[in-house]
Amino acid sequence: MDDGRMHDGNRTDMALISATGLGKHVEGPTGRLDILDDVSLEVNAGETIAITGASGSGKTTLLSLLAGLDLPSGGSVRLDGHVLESMGEEARAHLRLKLVGFVFQSFHLLPALTAEENVLLPLELDGTPDAPARARDALASVGLRERGAHYPYQLSGGEQQRVAIARAFVHGPRILFADEPTGNLDHASRDAIADLLFALNREHHTTLVVVTHDPAMAARCARVYDLVDGRLRAHAA
Amino acid sequence: MTGTRHALRTLRREWRLPELRTLIAALLLSVIALGAVGTLAVRVQRAVVMSAAELIGGDLGIDAASSLPAVFMRHAQTLGLHASALAEFPSVAFAGDRSQLLSITAGDGAWPLRGKLIVAGPRDRSRVTHAPAPGAIYLDHRALVSLQLNVGDRVQVGGMDLVIAGQLEQQPGGGDLIALAPRAVMALPDARAAGLLGAGSRARHRLLVAGSVNGVDAYRAWAKANLPADAHLVTPEEVQQRLAVAFGRAGSFLRLAALLAALLAGIAVALSAQRYARRKTDEIALLRALGASSRFAFGSLAWTLAVPALLAALIGAGVALGLASAAFAYAHDLLPASAQRAPLPFGPALAAACVGLAVLAGFALPPLARLRSIPPVAVFRRNIKLAPQRFDLLYALPVLVALGLIALETGSWKIAGVLAACLAGAALFTTLLTFAILWFIRRYAVRLNPSLRLGVSALTRRRGLSLLQSCAISLGLTALLLLAVVAPALLDNWRRDLPPDTPNWFVVNVQAEQRAGVRDALDKLGATHFNDMPVAVGKLVAINGVDVERVPFRGQDVSQEASQQVRLSWNCTLPPANRVIEGQWFAPDTRDAQVSLDVAWLRRFDLELGDELEFLVGNQRVDARLTSIREVDWSRFNVNFFVMLDPAHGKALPHTWIASFYLPPGHAGALAAFSRDNPNLSLIDVDELLDRARQIVGQVTAAARWVLAFSLLAGALVLAAALTMSAAERRHEAALLRTLGARRGQLRMAALCEFGLLGAISGLTALLASAVAGAWLAHAVFRIHAFSPPWPPLIIAAVIAAAVVAALGLAGTRKVLHTSPLLLLRR
Repeated sequence: MDDGRMHDGNRTDMALISATGLGKHVEGPTGRLDILDDVSLEVNAGETIAITGASGSGKTTLLSLLAGLDLPSGGSVRLDGHVLESMGEEARAHLRLKLVGFVFQSFHLLPALTAEENVLLPLELDGTPDAPARARDALASVGLRERGAHYPYQLSGGEQQRVAIARAFVHGPRILFADEPTGNLDHASRDAIADLLFALNREHHTTLVVVTHDPAMAARCARVYDLVDGRLRAHAA
Repeated sequence: MTGTRHALRTLRREWRLPELRTLIAALLLSVIALGAVGTLAVRVQRAVVMSAAELIGGDLGIDAASSLPAVFMRHAQTLGLHASALAEFPSVAFAGDRSQLLSITAGDGAWPLRGKLIVAGPRDRSRVTHAPAPGAIYLDHRALVSLQLNVGDRVQVGGMDLVIAGQLEQQPGGGDLIALAPRAVMALPDARAAGLLGAGSRARHRLLVAGSVNGVDAYRAWAKANLPADAHLVTPEEVQQRLAVAFGRAGSFLRLAALLAALLAGIAVALSAQRYARRKTDEIALLRALGASSRFAFGSLAWTLAVPALLAALIGAGVALGLASAAFAYAHDLLPASAQRAPLPFGPALAAACVGLAVLAGFALPPLARLRSIPPVAVFRRNIKLAPQRFDLLYALPVLVALGLIALETGSWKIAGVLAACLAGAALFTTLLTFAILWFIRRYAVRLNPSLRLGVSALTRRRGLSLLQSCAISLGLTALLLLAVVAPALLDNWRRDLPPDTPNWFVVNVQAEQRAGVRDALDKLGATHFNDMPVAVGKLVAINGVDVERVPFRGQDVSQEASQQVRLSWNCTLPPANRVIEGQWFAPDTRDAQVSLDVAWLRRFDLELGDELEFLVGNQRVDARLTSIREVDWSRFNVNFFVMLDPAHGKALPHTWIASFYLPPGHAGALAAFSRDNPNLSLIDVDELLDRARQIVGQVTAAARWVLAFSLLAGALVLAAALTMSAAERRHEAALLRTLGARRGQLRMAALCEFGLLGAISGLTALLASAVAGAWLAHAVFRIHAFSPPWPPLIIAAVIAAAVVAALGLAGTRKVLHTSPLLLLRR
């Protein structure tokens, strides 16, 4: 979005992500269910934060609100100064394209596209020139230079997540949201993926928001928050 | 990045997806069915219309029930036009002990003026010629074979001995396209001399003129003003139009059958699209999460479908053209030689491609359109619900598309509605039956063996899908059983239903003074069931005082029919095989003239009881009030008439007699002498006509069966689509059961039970529905009162169909049973 780029230079002094009094509730068979209640959070550019909590505590819901994938029932989210609730879905999609990268627990690679084509997606959506070369570089940076022509089903779980990480970083997003990025992996792959994620984060100076169960991964972030009963509590890092 | 590029990239791998393949196969099938039938129908129609001028044999013709006054010929010559007279009539030819009904054209030396009469001489050299000289006749191949004669032999027609001067290869046929009887051409003076063209004979007289455009126009204007009451002008345009209407009707029946197959394939499209949409949910959610606009996401999805669909439509159109060409080549014997040059039309195949795409869009759009409302947050929550009501109205789209296409084809929303109601009725019946069976088995399934219980529960679990599957397959099977088993049985039954001594010969043109002699002669030959009725040939000239030319009939063809000659008869009592359904049969000696009409004739001309009809017979006018409406059983082969007058007024009209009688087969040779003694009589062999009619019905049925085979294919596609739809669930279930220790045999048994039941439901529905439809046809159309559906072949066919459905279903799940459970769970 032109608007986002125009203000890039002016926003370095303010929080890149700012959530105020966020609430999210849904209507269930037994009545209203509060998932998030009065959550406030500020994340500055280049920071790394982890959000932990028990299953069903609302971690992913919070992540989806911060990334503008969903809208809160109450409160407000600002992303690089843009008030998400006041934007339509198309405008939010455009903002995500410019600003955000994602890594998911279940990788979410498109099965019909090769590894390289999956990495190409964000670049091509944005109309970036020399997209194929950049996609190949991104694959090389996650150690999969030779696997570009492979389809997701031909790759192991760890390799699929590397492709997803390459896709998340390839267009140089300022914020990276990672939802349990090592949740579906074995022990060895888990460490390797976490190393890769943090190394690339440092290299690209990205703001990283990780939702995780894994205490070791959370410990690598500058700040850690615990989500309990829909409320956010700061943890000592 | 454009959605197209993403779509093409995705497609490179996705074209292997079973749901996409089923979807494309359904489209291909629709286009082929519609295209092949449409192309063939149009080509045949065009071929026949093309030959219309040749069919007349001149630039303008005058058709009349009796020979035209000489002034018509003289006036043409005065205008510098060529003129020729001819007559057409049926008559039986004899050669030794053999006899053969012929469709005879008797022409003067100038005939034909347009088109070609081609005959082959003794040394097989074809030549273009005119009608033969007196004393000679040309017979076509069929006539020569059935009479076992060769060129140069002699044959007896109308009591005259004629030399066969050549084998008729091609003639400008003024009559039927598909000749009921073998053809012959003789000299007009011979036909006159033999008395074959008498006042009451079935001969149609025609005067043809040809020449300069101005001359023909001038003649047309003059003739119009001077036409006798029983005559009308025949122009190539009029013949073209009449032929086009006749072929249009036959064509639209076949096209409608093909359209129903295409709509059935539409169900497969809808099912596959549903599954495809479900598969695409994650992708759309991800693309939206990554920042793709909804236009991009939906556009790429549309392109993923549009690219293979367009290709399939083109390929389908190509295959349809090929099939239609092959069928045209196969059927060319039935068409006039000149019609075989008709070019292959491309329009219908392209139209079929468009209709196929419309079916695809109509049936696939609703599930795919729902993807537009997938929120990006679905990337985290797979079970996210779609906004329910937003696109639900779209589900009316397939119904509208189906109704619209049927209405377009039949030209009537009413017919579309009735047809849709019938289909809905059949579907409702299947649904109820399926529900009942499912309820029954669920109730008693607990007592079954575990494998069978598993199969039964699979059907009840996927109840919606089971219903859809059984409905679609049942409809396809019903159509097929109806055509393959019930229709031939109906025809056989109809023939057998005729009493063995049903009249099998007609003799026409019997003069009043000949009546007693003819009856005696036939009695001596062993003829029985002799029945004769008077016949007067006239024309309907006014209805309720309004000239028929000015009455606004429903169509051009009805108007033309109203102006043609009509045969009237009379009798004191109601003839056999007639039933008065409204009004009263004539009281004896009524003062005012009264008329009784067959109900079909009445409906055709929109008449009602009490109407005044004016007929012109010779120079006499009869003004009669419509006092009764009859239903005539035409299948009885008695002498029957559409129009009957009260006897008091009828017998005053100039008339001859028509008689029917029964002569045991094999005695036809005895009629040769009878024919020679009574040269003015025309003999008509009904058995022969019936056999030929049955042959034609057989050909039409074969064509319709060929078209309806598409319905069965569409039914198989629906099954395939339904299997695809539940494939993921099946795989998961099978993997789970295998992991829990189920043996492959048990799973196979469960699948066999599931599809066996599905096959049984479809087979049973098809069996009952086709039997009911057959019984209705027997009663309403063929008037067979004791028709019993052919149960043994019907049951065998239904069992085979059910077994095929079960086998197809089982084959579809084979892959699931043979995949490692580990792999399945990983997927």
